[in-house]
Amino acid sequence: MLMRTNPPLLSLIAAQTRLGRRSFGPFHLDIEAGERVAILGPSGAGKSTLLRLMAGELPCSAGSAALEGTLLARSSLIELSRRRAVLPQSTEVAFGLDCDLVIALGRVARHHDPDLAHIVREAAMQAHAGHLLGRRCDTLSGGEKARVQLARIFAQMWDREAGLILVDEPLSALDPGLQIDLLDKLDAFARQRGHAVVAVLHDINQALQAFSRLLLVLEGALMNDLPSHADAVPQLEALYGIQLQCFDDGQGSTLVLPWRAASAVTTS
Amino acid sequence: MSLALSASLATARSRSPGVALLVLLCVAIVVAVQCGAVPVRGGDWLNLFWPDVTGSTPGGRYVLWNLRLPRALFALLAGAALGLSGALTQGLFRNPLADPSLLGVTSGAACAAALTIVVVSGMHLNLPDGWRIWLLPASAFAGALLVCMVLDYAARWLVPGSIAGLLLTGIALNAIATAVIGLCTYLANDEQLRSLSFWTLGSLASASWSLVLVLAGVLAFSMLAVRRLTRAMNALALGETAAAHVGIEVSRLRTQIILLVALTAGFAIAWTGIIGFIGLVAPHFVRSWVGPDQRRVVPLSMLLGGLLLIIADTVARTVAIPAEIPVGVFTALLGAPFFLIILRASRHRIA
Repeated sequence: MLMRTNPPLLSLIAAQTRLGRRSFGPFHLDIEAGERVAILGPSGAGKSTLLRLMAGELPCSAGSAALEGTLLARSSLIELSRRRAVLPQSTEVAFGLDCDLVIALGRVARHHDPDLAHIVREAAMQAHAGHLLGRRCDTLSGGEKARVQLARIFAQMWDREAGLILVDEPLSALDPGLQIDLLDKLDAFARQRGHAVVAVLHDINQALQAFSRLLLVLEGALMNDLPSHADAVPQLEALYGIQLQCFDDGQGSTLVLPWRAASAVTTS
Repeated sequence: MSLALSASLATARSRSPGVALLVLLCVAIVVAVQCGAVPVRGGDWLNLFWPDVTGSTPGGRYVLWNLRLPRALFALLAGAALGLSGALTQGLFRNPLADPSLLGVTSGAACAAALTIVVVSGMHLNLPDGWRIWLLPASAFAGALLVCMVLDYAARWLVPGSIAGLLLTGIALNAIATAVIGLCTYLANDEQLRSLSFWTLGSLASASWSLVLVLAGVLAFSMLAVRRLTRAMNALALGETAAAHVGIEVSRLRTQIILLVALTAGFAIAWTGIIGFIGLVAPHFVRSWVGPDQRRVVPLSMLLGGLLLIIADTVARTVAIPAEIPVGVFTALLGAPFFLIILRASRHRIA
């Protein structure tokens, strides 16, 4: 009953933003608590820009973006940091800080944080980074760094319910086993606390299997906002300008395999 | 003394570097005060507190109280100011090779000093004698503050929100300041040229008790301000964007750091001239000793900076008695090999 009266977790109303001379938007969409949303689109389409707009990192040049009814532009960074976390693309940390410290930085804006040590340890365990505690970040492999960053996000959103986790292509450089493992960890964490997850992804199959809603971004605008389902395949073909062949994985999910565009096939 | 040294080494091993550095600092002060052309005896020390004690030489007490002690303490405080500002600058730029001079402190102070020596003193201003000795340091300090603030504003306007942009703006401003210094050098007469080049070599000869007190006040204020910043500075290591995501107002933090660097390094440089390398080496060494957590790096860099400058100044004063070699020569001469040793030790991490 209460859910009806509450504003959506995140709502973009005709939100536009500028990056250099390019204009992005208008984006018009709501994200509800606990949703799993994948942002898909070709390179340079504006996926990360949309995510940065949602994070409050880019200002709206027109329209508005609000988190739980409060305009992002009016919220302080400290307030925002308690309600949304961003898993960045880059996992580099200067000076080789200890992993414990990096994870604890998720909670740096809290001045009184008596459970910090406990939360850091638990967050590390949940991201499968427990064995990395006490090590310097610059001695880690790419996958281990990604785990530490994931644990930092967990620490940030640890004692918060129904928050927002934004993920910017963090997995594209990792091997498939690790990608699935980290996405599972993130999903389990978000499920326990009712967090929504919005992720920029490159892998269509990951989006179809682990996410419930797809935002298709093309040329700086939202082309489609549709449920993650086999019916979305024609729109995905149009989005990337490729042909997709569908397979049933035997458990009710659809897998797709990209083919070359029809024109390319006929000329060869 | 060897007892104190071994004790400090023992505490260093038991992982309380702050205590170890403090002990070493006390040892260094005592040694620095003992060294010099006029001998200082134990009786002179006692004489400071109980004027009737025998065993004191007539000149010893004067030298100890009026020359050596203020000089050692001034070296300590100026070195601490340089170490502190070095640690802050490296944290701001997320780069262990950064140095306060990137923020224009050094070139700003040098530029103002050059203008004062060449242009202002040529104007034959009718200043009271008491003010005349303050003119050079005061204008150097003003120059350091001014260039730092102009840099912050200009970078904010030219390349909003980018710390790499701040670095590049700093390079351009430094070039302008260097050009002004070059022009002053060209216009200067022989005497002005000499005082200008001595200023750029750095010296602690202007030490006095009043200066020690003022610098101690400046440092105490800076330390209080810095204590609130070090947690946020750790977050800067994640990058500006990620730091903002965890709730850090990066642009405010950046202005606070720049102002603190301008205040501490600017004040020290204004009185001492250019003393290089301490701001670079002290935080670097501390980081390879206790790790990169800014909450430890910043205070320990202060202590180590003070220690290094006392050692360098003592060597500079005593190596060619009665002449005194400019201390800036020795900070580079001692600091650079030291830096190379650290570089060698950390080669695995850099590769």
